[in-house]
Amino acid sequence: MSRHSILIVEDEHTLRRILEYRLGKQYDVRTAANGEEGIERVNEQLPDLIISDIMMPKMDGFAMQAALQERADTKAIPFIFLTAKADEASQLRGRRTGVDDYITKPFDIDQLLSRVDRLLQRTAQFQNQLDARIGKDFSEKLMPKRMPEASGYSSWFHNSPREHGGGDIFDWTEPRPGTFFITIGDVMGKGLQAKFYAFSFLGYIRSTLHTMLRTTNSPAELMKRVNQVLMDDPPLEDTFASLLLLKWEPEKNLVTYANAGHCRPVVISHRGAEIVPYSDIILGLDANAEFKDTSLSLQPGSALVSYTDGLLEQQMKSGGQLGEEGITEAVREAFGSRQPVDRLIQHVLDDSEIREFGDDILLLWLQREAEREHASDRPAPRWFSPFGEGQGSGHGAA
Amino acid sequence: MHTTTMNFQIEPVTHDTVVIRIGKALDFRNAADFKAAAQEQVCSGVRSFILDFNDTGILDSTGLGSIFSLYRQVSPMSGQVVFASVSRPVQVVVQLTRTYKVFRQFPSVDAAREALR
Repeated sequence: MSRHSILIVEDEHTLRRILEYRLGKQYDVRTAANGEEGIERVNEQLPDLIISDIMMPKMDGFAMQAALQERADTKAIPFIFLTAKADEASQLRGRRTGVDDYITKPFDIDQLLSRVDRLLQRTAQFQNQLDARIGKDFSEKLMPKRMPEASGYSSWFHNSPREHGGGDIFDWTEPRPGTFFITIGDVMGKGLQAKFYAFSFLGYIRSTLHTMLRTTNSPAELMKRVNQVLMDDPPLEDTFASLLLLKWEPEKNLVTYANAGHCRPVVISHRGAEIVPYSDIILGLDANAEFKDTSLSLQPGSALVSYTDGLLEQQMKSGGQLGEEGITEAVREAFGSRQPVDRLIQHVLDDSEIREFGDDILLLWLQREAEREHASDRPAPRWFSPFGEGQGSGHGAA
Repeated sequence: MHTTTMNFQIEPVTHDTVVIRIGKALDFRNAADFKAAAQEQVCSGVRSFILDFNDTGILDSTGLGSIFSLYRQVSPMSGQVVFASVSRPVQVVVQLTRTYKVFRQFPSVDAAREALR
């Protein structure tokens, strides 16, 4: 855990050491013997809180505090005056802009500790709220306003970003009438940073798709290009992302996908549910990574369910994570419901350790409507790959 | 904000190889600490890392990301990152992300030491 840092500015040696010792148990403490030194310490590294004496040689506490108030980078640092000057005039002078507390000597060290703690907590709370607001704003901008639609299909989508969750990505485009490219991904990391990367990464994906879809129709080729972008571009150097690229051709009832280390989707029909097995390495790790297209023909009444790792990693009552088995089970349970995504989420929450999700979750349920007269004699979904075991005929044509 | 880097036990094997014991969890709570600890080793010339996952019950995407960063940093310098005594929860994450293609795995820290010596 990262610890808060505190700067103590106090000219009296013994008191300085006592404060350093007591506060050092909980915080990273640095010290200075007067205002000038105090400003030097602040310049070396900004502390999270300053406790300062008033009467000191060279530069007193008032002068130091005033100097820090002048600077944009230091004026918001929580500030406590600690002083023997108990008279009212000094107190009034001490209670000025930027001073959060004023404690007179002799003082009770436990009281000082509790005030420090409260002040730091309040600052952290404020920061958290700000992060949450910005994060929510990012998350909302990351999601499209509409869903892809095609006759003979229904789709359900759910996205609930958590303020401090990760960077889930969802997007789709229809480069040619009747051909959809759907992007589902998860940028690694948590909080604002992940959301910020997700935001810029999605920009890269969009422009890559836009350019490349003129010359290719293969999710795997697009994936290879996106991986290279992540590997080559310095601003994205520390970005790793799992990505599922789906090409959906509703008229052919065909989905062709490339999966870069993303949670594996589930396919469900009245015959049962199973994980869509094939995937390749996550993006951003290996410049020479190869990706492969796999095609799936969607039978009447069957559905493809894609999701992100917030669902996979949900902590369950059983003590473990939901995992692929749990998701397969939840999909089976929700299949046939009028609102399968809502049903699935309820089912997972019912068995969760805490009745809420610990991370962002994103779910896409794409279902081909049943053709009732033939539904029962259709085979279960079949898998075939253009590079695989000689069943490549179904690979989506350009 | 200052960060302590004392949470990971690090043990030298050769002048440029160390074992880092990951402990019970590597996740969003301590990934920054791991990054800092590994960074300190890289700065002092370490290029090969054996990560010991013997007791590890939790490896989330932030934790995995910190390992990826280390790999991307050392691999251009002929360094490597290998996994030892991979626990079941860690194996699940490695399988899902298909990263076994990049991180060699060894049944024990000793086997990894032997291979990297």
